[in-house]
Amino acid sequence: MKSDDFLSKNISNITHLLESVMSAEDLCRAPGLLQGLDARVKVATVVLFIVVVGLARSLPILGGIFALILVFVVLSKIPLGIFLKRILIFIPIFTAVIAIPALFVTPGAPLVTAGSKVIITEQGARTAGLLVLRVTDSLSFGILLVLTTRWTDILAALRWFRVPSLFVAVLGMTYRYIFLLLHTANSMFLARRSRTLGTFSGRENRRWLGQALGTTMAKSQHLSEEVYLAMLSRGYRDEGLALNSFTLRRRDFLWAAFALATASMLLWSNWR
Amino acid sequence: MHIPDGYLSPATCGVMYGAAAPFWYVAATRVRKALTGRTVPVLALFAAFSFVLMMFNVPLPGGTTAHAVGGTLLAIVLGPWAAVIGISTVLGIQALFFGDGGLMTFGANCFNMAIVLPLVGYFIYKVLSSNSEATSTRRLVAAVLGSYVGIVAAAFFAGVELGIQPTLFHTAAGVPLYAPYGLSKALGAMVGGHLLVAGPVEALATGLVFAFLQRTHSSLVKADVPGKKEGKIWLLWGALGVVALATPIGLLASGTAWGEWGVDELKDLGLGFIPSGMQRFADWWPAPLPDYSLARMGAVIGYILSAFVGIALTALLLYLFGRMLTRKGKDLATEQSPSERDAPV
Amino acid sequence: MGSLRFGYSVNAIVEQLAVTTFNTGRIFEASGLDYDYPGNIAALRQISLTIGPGELVALLGANGSGKSTLLKLLDGLIFPSGGELLAFGKPLSEKALRDGPFVLEFRRKVGLVFQDPDVQLFSSTVWDEVIFGPLQLGVSKDEVVSRGSEALKLLNITHLRDRPPYRLSGGEKKKVALASVLSLHPQVLLLDEPTTGLDPWSQGNLIDFLIGWADGGKSLVFSTQDLDTAEELATRVIVLGTDHGVVADGKPEEFFSDPDFLLKTNLVHEHSHRHKELVHRHQHIHDHRH
Repeated sequence: MKSDDFLSKNISNITHLLESVMSAEDLCRAPGLLQGLDARVKVATVVLFIVVVGLARSLPILGGIFALILVFVVLSKIPLGIFLKRILIFIPIFTAVIAIPALFVTPGAPLVTAGSKVIITEQGARTAGLLVLRVTDSLSFGILLVLTTRWTDILAALRWFRVPSLFVAVLGMTYRYIFLLLHTANSMFLARRSRTLGTFSGRENRRWLGQALGTTMAKSQHLSEEVYLAMLSRGYRDEGLALNSFTLRRRDFLWAAFALATASMLLWSNWR
Repeated sequence: MHIPDGYLSPATCGVMYGAAAPFWYVAATRVRKALTGRTVPVLALFAAFSFVLMMFNVPLPGGTTAHAVGGTLLAIVLGPWAAVIGISTVLGIQALFFGDGGLMTFGANCFNMAIVLPLVGYFIYKVLSSNSEATSTRRLVAAVLGSYVGIVAAAFFAGVELGIQPTLFHTAAGVPLYAPYGLSKALGAMVGGHLLVAGPVEALATGLVFAFLQRTHSSLVKADVPGKKEGKIWLLWGALGVVALATPIGLLASGTAWGEWGVDELKDLGLGFIPSGMQRFADWWPAPLPDYSLARMGAVIGYILSAFVGIALTALLLYLFGRMLTRKGKDLATEQSPSERDAPV
Repeated sequence: MGSLRFGYSVNAIVEQLAVTTFNTGRIFEASGLDYDYPGNIAALRQISLTIGPGELVALLGANGSGKSTLLKLLDGLIFPSGGELLAFGKPLSEKALRDGPFVLEFRRKVGLVFQDPDVQLFSSTVWDEVIFGPLQLGVSKDEVVSRGSEALKLLNITHLRDRPPYRLSGGEKKKVALASVLSLHPQVLLLDEPTTGLDPWSQGNLIDFLIGWADGGKSLVFSTQDLDTAEELATRVIVLGTDHGVVADGKPEEFFSDPDFLLKTNLVHEHSHRHKELVHRHQHIHDHRH
């Protein structure tokens, strides 16, 4: 692979990721509907909705849920463009690749015909539609949660839900250090690119990548030692210690009630 | 290989969480014991490294790029149980933040990539490298092969999880509700794709980094050397792996028509080693939705469920067994104390 | 950071009084300390020194002379391969640091600010970082919150409270690192190259801050490459030489007026360049008399 493409691709990957995280953090502070809710309630209701999406069996229901999601997006002052962009990054690439063949391959009643040949069947369309909508809806709920809740609040909510403190502590610290390592990696790529006059062969690039990754791993190891010492230095003895500052307000109860009511309605209409 | 929400039914997701849970439990306990106070920073930094590794585009011969997981590499450097938690952490962050892998399917994704991948990869590595030198070529080959087999094994389980969806979960009209392709197609795509593309990428990335580490930081390569007693456990794990794989491989090897499987055909495929008590369980398993044909669904779900439950139970038993074996042995923690590990300033 | 008003809680004021009136004992007593890096590379050899309350000690030495290592030894994070180290009259050994109450006391009294703030900022937000210490110490929830707010105010970084560490500039990180140690209300501050990387204005500010903080019997041990910082802040100077031992230990005035000594211990650079046949030599030492 050409050096330019290989390096540039990696650099842009990293930069896009960092940008998306930054924008997510800014949106968490907007004065929207979901931002003002308690994190625990949000996590619980998002999980509830995703399960409902998982159990839904009809296209109209899944479509209706998406409409509902869009309402939430607007009420939470999230720019529709940003939201749709996030979804579209994942839906087409993976799901279309999976769903599109199903359109043509599934046997059943004809839906779209070219002359006497059946191109798309009703079953095929339904299969593809169910999959795409289900994936879109589930993904959207996840995105809503992340765009309207501060990362630290999500962690605190997990802790409250009795997720073992080891996992939560590791999650938090991993997230924090991902950016440091990404920054280091990015610098390595940029330094390499600035020294690229012609092109390096694929083989040279691979060898360099091995070195870059190996160096990053060694840095991780070194950092882990130093961080441990820094933790010890301030009296570290228990990973599970944290300040819990959750309070439930009336709007949280209203939201929970609304979520439960909607979920029940959707599930009931599923089986009607 | 990250499976998004929507591809697996809630029931399957629940089962996969159940399958992953005992491994998470064992991993947490073991890692805490081996790393003592340093568990959180070590796991966190290496998980962060895994994340970065997963982001890299690895240039392939031929001009394309692909991503690696690096689970086996992590298992070699930190030990398999630390890798379980490390990769699970990364998958959690990817799922929550980047929509890469769903929240309901988190259990399944962890089972495939954070449990099967590193454990199988590490096992192969240990078996192939046995007691060779840290810097030997044999170890490098072992790492490369281990990571290859690890990721293919993970793909296999992913294929099974996806492939059983249309059989188990469809409307009365036969329209699949979740992943639409049957076992043969799903397995073909997943295993085939990983044998040919993703597997070599994983092996390549692992090999490149491992070779570099061998040259420059060989101390990282000789991590967590298990005592002799622990070696016996690995044989047991290997046996378990073979048994677990035999279930679906038996399905494939039968040579009958691909696609839909009848209950009787399944029985004929040598699944008899699953205790007959499980069959009774399968028969009264309540169908999640009234449209399903009870008897047929029950049996199929029962067999697959029992395989997973069997694995989980066996894992727990092995863990307890292992505890008994090693309690009298020497202290397995070979990590040096901070005073010896202090890097030059 | 201009004003020297420190709004400590009543607890802290009482502590300060206790330190001044009752603690006439030594803080650190080291005799014949040896330390090796892995691979038997010598880091420190036969280090002997005593540090008492109220001293502001500058650790000088060229790169690789073991300054950071010594600070980590003083903080009980690593342990010497030879010699003995006492802290507050008690031995600071691996064994001693397994005793719960002793560790707690020691960690409360001594704080170390690392050279690389990223190592010390391991929590998700600035707020989480400053309350980490008090939380681990086991004080009440209210006390934790008040110490956290106080530490942020002390360094004028209350506006950074909810920021994640990767969104902080280098200078801000250093402030947060310092705040996260100060929330422990330590008696002794160990700082590894505190002014490195700061612009001159921030450097001056930090030095003023530290002088004010130490007022009243607290001790400071800081390593630095910068002779200016050492001169402005220190009441005592310890120099580590290339032989990994202590080559000098005394008042700053004694050293900074002796250019030959400074040259010999690699603390300054002798600049030399040629103008055709003429070789021009001069040293980079500033006259600090004011």
